[in-house]
Amino acid sequence: MSTINVLGLILLVLMILVGGKAGLQSFLALLLNFGLLFMAIVLVAFHFPPLPVTLVVGLLVLALTIFMSSGDDLSSTVAFLASAAVLVILVILIVPVEHWALVQGFGPEDSEDLEGLSVLVGISFIQVSTATAILSTLGAIAEAAMAIAAGLSEILEQHPKVTMRALLGDGIAVGKQIIGTTFNTLFFGFFGGFLALFIWFTGVHYSFGEILNDKIFVAEILMILFAMVSVILTVPITAWVMTRAVAGQRRRKANQTDQ
Amino acid sequence: MQDLRKKRKVTLTMWLLAIVVGGLLVWGTQHNAGLYQDPIMQVTSVQTGQTSQEEDDFHNVDRQTQQVLHGRILNGQYKGQRLTVTNTYSLSGAMDQHYHQGSQLFVNLHRHQAGQLTATVKDAKRDGPLVLMLWLVIGLLLLIMQFSGFMAFLSVAVNGVLFLMAIMLNGSTQGARVLWIFGSLAVVFATLTLWLVLGANRQMVITLATTLGGTALSIIVALLVFHFTHEKGMYYESMQYVTQLPRPLFLAETLLGSLGAVMDESTDIISSLFALKRERPELSAGQVFKSGRQIGSTIMGPLINVLFFIFVADTFPMVMLYLKNGNSWGYTFSMNMSMGVVQSLISGIGIVLAVPLASYLASRFMEKKVRV
Repeated sequence: MSTINVLGLILLVLMILVGGKAGLQSFLALLLNFGLLFMAIVLVAFHFPPLPVTLVVGLLVLALTIFMSSGDDLSSTVAFLASAAVLVILVILIVPVEHWALVQGFGPEDSEDLEGLSVLVGISFIQVSTATAILSTLGAIAEAAMAIAAGLSEILEQHPKVTMRALLGDGIAVGKQIIGTTFNTLFFGFFGGFLALFIWFTGVHYSFGEILNDKIFVAEILMILFAMVSVILTVPITAWVMTRAVAGQRRRKANQTDQ
Repeated sequence: MQDLRKKRKVTLTMWLLAIVVGGLLVWGTQHNAGLYQDPIMQVTSVQTGQTSQEEDDFHNVDRQTQQVLHGRILNGQYKGQRLTVTNTYSLSGAMDQHYHQGSQLFVNLHRHQAGQLTATVKDAKRDGPLVLMLWLVIGLLLLIMQFSGFMAFLSVAVNGVLFLMAIMLNGSTQGARVLWIFGSLAVVFATLTLWLVLGANRQMVITLATTLGGTALSIIVALLVFHFTHEKGMYYESMQYVTQLPRPLFLAETLLGSLGAVMDESTDIISSLFALKRERPELSAGQVFKSGRQIGSTIMGPLINVLFFIFVADTFPMVMLYLKNGNSWGYTFSMNMSMGVVQSLISGIGIVLAVPLASYLASRFMEKKVRV
């Protein structure tokens, strides 16, 4: 058996042992997410436009991640709507920045890996890089939105009559608790992936100015920064969507008692 | 009411201030050529030349266009000199750039004997977008999260500096001790971050023990699996930018990658359990353990997802290039995505194992009565 299969099997067994049915569901969500990611790449390779493909796949990934983990209906719905809104804002931010930064495709550091490959493939790599940046933040957006929504729905359970203004403030307070550790997840996640690149930079003695303008370095750092912006924005947006949802619920309830 | 209005006015002023400072910073990056050693040229006009159609062996059709860029040098000994360079860009733009009027580029200057100056384009200047995004993160963090935002930023900044120092150290030992360096760094990272986030107390010690335990367990499980499967299907040669022995480097990358997520998770579980115990001191250790497992099983899935997307989405451009060059899906996966998937799986194992570990340690070592 190959290493991937054995590791995957161990993960599956552990997730079921620890989480039971919820663990199994999370594992399935993970598998499906991989399928979606691979499908997005294949569709782009077949000349489907990268940005619409990314948006659709992004929404599917968010829905899958959020609705397949255990959570109550209200918090799942709120988390999904909020993360979808963040996704849209993120696209509006990433597209112009990627066009300005010119970080698409590959850099001189990749030339060894590119040996024997034709790079003139007729697909706009600016759009591919934009898609990459969007996809790499999806997990973080979903996780932050779920954490805020779950925290708020717990507060609502304990204080069902909380005012809208207080609820919004509570959302920011929950956000303050998670932001420190979430940033570290992103920092270590990305820097773990770029360790080899950074070692390369020091080994080949790039100057500070060269690193700051290097195509690959800027592309990677921009990805971390996009992810951080999206996590920060998720906090107030999720809190706001929650107040809208709760206000709607209360209005409906009030109407019912009137009749 | 007046207080509220005053507060709103202050907030508005802060936002305006942030936008103005951001604008100034970006303006600064457009006028900082003097800080660079390498000559920088600003494009003042562009002539677009002929476009030709290209087709490669795999029937990929692309267009290449010539452009003539007129500009002047912004810094160094030839400052103010006018130059003309040619550039070729393609529709796909994987290895080339389409420049516009106003673009700033690094150029290589060649001085000929007749005193004539010619140049070739090296690369684009990219510090502007970098500074803009950095400012956006810092600005939003401080405006929305205030003090907590500042602490989050501080811990990332401190970790960044430590990371840099470790890389320097690794360079000076020729990468022979990469796993030891980054393994001990992980301990320092975790201690420092948790101290900044939680302060020095019992909760922090329990969280630290869980973080280190979970991460270490995942690496041990990975090493055992590597041993028994003889690393079948692991393509170390497919790792990018590798300048030293790939296997320890891969383990160091995985270790760092999972550390943050395991720390995130154990902080969540343990602080929820402490809060629970504070509210209901009568809960037994067994009940605390059970709640910990429940909290953990809802957050572990999304956390594994975060790392999965970070590790695997990054391979998108290369995977696409492989597919467009007539490689099979299986080969493309092996050569580009398999290492990222292995990394996600190992981190996932650490994240899952941290759940019972956090619940056990919290239920066992939490003080009988948590002080408020």
